[in-house]
Amino acid sequence: MSEFVKVAQVDDLPDPGKVILPVDDRLVVLIRQGQEFYCIDDVCTHDGGTLGDGELVDCQLSCPRHGAKFDIRTGEALTMPATENTLAHEVKVDGTDVLVRLSED
Amino acid sequence: MNVDTTVPMELSAEAFDAFLANRDNPGWLQDLRREAWAAYEQMAWPARNSEEWSRTDIRLFDVEKYPVMPSAAAAASVEPQLNQGVELAGQSISSNGISSLVELKEKWQQQGVVFGSLEKLAADHAELIQAHLMTRAMDKQYDRFAALHAACWSGGHFVYIPRGVVVDEPFHLVSSLSDGQADLGHTLCILEEGAEATVLTETVSEQVTDTGMHCGGVELLVAPGAHLRYVNLQNWGTGVWHFAHHHAVVEQDATLQWTVASMGSRLAKVNQHVALAGKGARAQVNGVLFTEEKQHMSYHTLQHHCAPYGQSDFLYKAALQDRSRTVWRGMIKVEEGAQQTDGYQRNDNLLLSDGARADSIPGLEIEADDVRCTHGSTTGRVDEELLFYAQCRGFTRTEAMRAIVTGFFQQIFDRVTIESVRNALGDAIAQRVRNYS
Repeated sequence: MSEFVKVAQVDDLPDPGKVILPVDDRLVVLIRQGQEFYCIDDVCTHDGGTLGDGELVDCQLSCPRHGAKFDIRTGEALTMPATENTLAHEVKVDGTDVLVRLSED
Repeated sequence: MNVDTTVPMELSAEAFDAFLANRDNPGWLQDLRREAWAAYEQMAWPARNSEEWSRTDIRLFDVEKYPVMPSAAAAASVEPQLNQGVELAGQSISSNGISSLVELKEKWQQQGVVFGSLEKLAADHAELIQAHLMTRAMDKQYDRFAALHAACWSGGHFVYIPRGVVVDEPFHLVSSLSDGQADLGHTLCILEEGAEATVLTETVSEQVTDTGMHCGGVELLVAPGAHLRYVNLQNWGTGVWHFAHHHAVVEQDATLQWTVASMGSRLAKVNQHVALAGKGARAQVNGVLFTEEKQHMSYHTLQHHCAPYGQSDFLYKAALQDRSRTVWRGMIKVEEGAQQTDGYQRNDNLLLSDGARADSIPGLEIEADDVRCTHGSTTGRVDEELLFYAQCRGFTRTEAMRAIVTGFFQQIFDRVTIESVRNALGDAIAQRVRNYS
């Protein structure tokens, strides 16, 4: 299990909104909804493309290319054409810092 | 050649000027570099939404992390494999973008063979090199990687076989990298009419996990009636970014057998174009890809039939384990006048784990109306019944898996007639196969 890594300041994140960040040599989408923070891989498991530019509605992030939806809390693939979950990562807030711990593949 | 270690890693116009000032290049080559640099500065890195790059993510690639303009780093210490047990016609070694060794047997020198570091020979053999370097095969403005390569290439290898000379011993070209270094080597092979040669090339890092960057180019120019066997073993460390443009032009009644084995690198993006430019030209390409961990390999091949009666046969086989990924996108393009073309392309993928993924995208673009062009693609897992059968006959599961993976590649080994190449590929694959239940 990797360690928590500081990735952003709370006030730097749009609310509600999302940013794509490199963490330990991988790209993740960090999402803020009020005081809730989520982090999933920036990978649509349908075609391996980026998810971060997709539309966020409630807890669902849509792939901008083919519309597959993922649950930002768990990484679960909710609709076709994605059939595999994307990886979700643990997030915590420490003061004004947002920290992410990457999950194992 | 003077190499200034103070040349910065920043890719600025000033750095490029300093790079040029430190090179002993003839005027025509400096002009070529300047033209390419201007293109590099105007271009953007490939967009993620372009078809060619949509499956290959390079957002974490930062060119300025690597010394694109070579520094005087110590030569990498590597152990080449393709020359084991082989009597060579000559050997050229480039390390971290700087030529470190050239040997050529006298008997081939006497027959007019020119061989060695491309950059060093560019001054003395402009009549051979200027007309061919990035003019007939490689498009130096194809994308930003091609432009960067054309502007900043260094070291490199040159093979020239005069008309009618048959070299019956292989040439061996090695490009090596130390951790964190860059290689922008260019290889130019010219076979004049009726010449024959075999060229074995290796790109290799010092250590398996080394990082680095390769932005390379290969041009193979095979004149009428000439025959070239070209082998390329890519075995960079697993932290190396590998970008390459490989081009061949095969003229009338000439043949090219091109074997590609790609094992290393963190991410590989290769464009391999073969132009069958003369009547009756023939090209056979054999590709072996083996990926593991999180490696990503993207091969984009083009069989470009420009003249009638051409034959091309591309076979790419990939085995993938862990969470690795391959993208193979092949195109057979037949021009209007290229009647009686016989083109074939095939891509087979063997998935050794649940997390591996292979994208295979064959394509045809045919303007002529009297041709035979076919393609095929397969992707599948190892058959559990085969494993069970082998285990019933006394194999362990790992032995059985190795035997099946080796058998998967046998079709390519059968086509490779050079024993040292078959052995190197077989050993590399067998070492990598792990046991999956």
